[in-house]
Amino acid sequence: MKQTQATNAHAAAVLRHTIENVLLYVVLCLVAVVTVFPFVWVLFTSFKGPTDAIYSVPPQLIPHDPTLANYGRVWSQLPVGRFYLNSIIVTLSIVVLNMLFTSLAAYPLAKMKFRGRDAIFYLLLATFIVPPVLTSIPSFVLAVNVFQYYDKLPAVIFPYLATVLSIFLLRQAFKGVPNDLIDAARIDGASELRIWWDILMPIIRPSLATVAIITFVEQWNNFFWPSLMLHTMENKTLQVGLVALQSAFASDSRGVAAGVVMTVVPIIIFFVALQRQFVRGLTGAVKG
Amino acid sequence: MTRKFSLTPYLFLAPALLVIVVFVLYPIVAVVYYSFTDYNISTPPVWVGLRNYQQLFKDPIFWQALSHSFIYLLVTPTLIFLSILLAIVVNRKLPGINAFRALFFIPVISGSIAVGIAWRLMFDTNGIINGTLISLGLLEERIQWLAEPAYTLPIAMLLTTWLGLGYYMMIFLAGLQNIPEELYDAAMIDGCNTWQKHWHVSIPGLRPQITFVAVISSLAALQVFNEIFTLTGGLGGILNSGVTMVFYLWRQAFRLNHAGMASAIAMVLLAITLAFSIVNIRIFERGTEAES
Repeated sequence: MKQTQATNAHAAAVLRHTIENVLLYVVLCLVAVVTVFPFVWVLFTSFKGPTDAIYSVPPQLIPHDPTLANYGRVWSQLPVGRFYLNSIIVTLSIVVLNMLFTSLAAYPLAKMKFRGRDAIFYLLLATFIVPPVLTSIPSFVLAVNVFQYYDKLPAVIFPYLATVLSIFLLRQAFKGVPNDLIDAARIDGASELRIWWDILMPIIRPSLATVAIITFVEQWNNFFWPSLMLHTMENKTLQVGLVALQSAFASDSRGVAAGVVMTVVPIIIFFVALQRQFVRGLTGAVKG
Repeated sequence: MTRKFSLTPYLFLAPALLVIVVFVLYPIVAVVYYSFTDYNISTPPVWVGLRNYQQLFKDPIFWQALSHSFIYLLVTPTLIFLSILLAIVVNRKLPGINAFRALFFIPVISGSIAVGIAWRLMFDTNGIINGTLISLGLLEERIQWLAEPAYTLPIAMLLTTWLGLGYYMMIFLAGLQNIPEELYDAAMIDGCNTWQKHWHVSIPGLRPQITFVAVISSLAALQVFNEIFTLTGGLGGILNSGVTMVFYLWRQAFRLNHAGMASAIAMVLLAITLAFSIVNIRIFERGTEAES
């Protein structure tokens, strides 16, 4: 009798558990559909031929007459190859140089004692809350009058060579390295530059990866400042070029969809390949 | 401390500081000055005192933009609520859960411009949204979603929520994984059901993350631009229905060449941002005091 009661209770628990899991999967699938739908729809639309309807009741999702013509049209009317090349040049130079500049700056802020260290640190901290759009007006003036790189790629590279977030993340990483290690190297007569490059940089590699990923995603998707600077078609980055495409193909949804796919696919492939690092990098900045 | 003066730390700092001085610190000073001038970028600024501010406060579009930016802040509580719920779901050890987590993260990395343009196509009068709603019988005839002033802001806010959900979910997920299992066991022994368990254990345990997300997402909401730009095709919506503070600033500075006026808007935006950060930091400090 007792045993049957126990088995009944057990069976009920298993049943409850199963129902709960089914419900959870229903929720997960619903959110997944909402998340994926715009991408899937844009992908299908980009392959639609002239006889496939963009608007119909009921809506048609899958093309009956699939074609690559939309991609061809976009590719022949806009210098898409240049957009890619420019985006790659801009993003890679910023990722590399930003890592270099900010890791140089973060080392003394974490591990050296010198006059004005705290003042510099708090000044940097304060700039965190300054809306980037605020600095865009004087930066525009500088670009036109002083640096004269308006409408050239350096205009969208220079302002991002050092960012406060990168300095903070790397300062945090340097702080985690034991002082003994640095002191020992100093006693051995190693220069600070050698200590930084040969000893510390390999140790903080995970944090450098975080900085690289944050910078990469931010710059690949950067739009506001590049849209102010880059106007000649050949000089545009992907995001700016995509907006140009949107207005050039205003009455051609299939072409716009092809442009969206071409912009989004590289970063999604990159994300799928380095999923773990992406998620850890982009959310790892938040250890509070 | 009697250490001999060394140039080394300053040399290490020099490249980064140079960039930040030129592109962040100098612009802050310059924009304060510009806000008191009549300036169109091509000819030198002319001092006009408070005129920009007087004109600004008389401009009905400024007040419209300001109220739109405050309305936009509704995305913050929405995001906090939805992303905590989602984090609780994906915190379960279910088969395939990692694939779902990764999937939910895709909007975060795919960029607001491309996604915004895709949404503009979807919400087009001849778009899939109308087609679906009509065939489901939820609509009689097509709605001009993006030409209807009442819908511009809500659609943009929906887009912002959709773009950010995966990111904030991951932050809350990391927070949930730091909550000791014993606390949940204790709650179960005390007779809590699933909802009570999360209410009494998960929510208090996530307080640092909630503060962080509140700060980050409200600053982002105050500075929204890309969503408005793409959904309204760079025009700000019918009757300025999608014009937020940053969009208004952008139009004044870079479409109308009113750099002086735009600088005054930037100052107002800075003041609001500062006020918000102070409020947020106060709340945060109270939170950490209570913990210690």
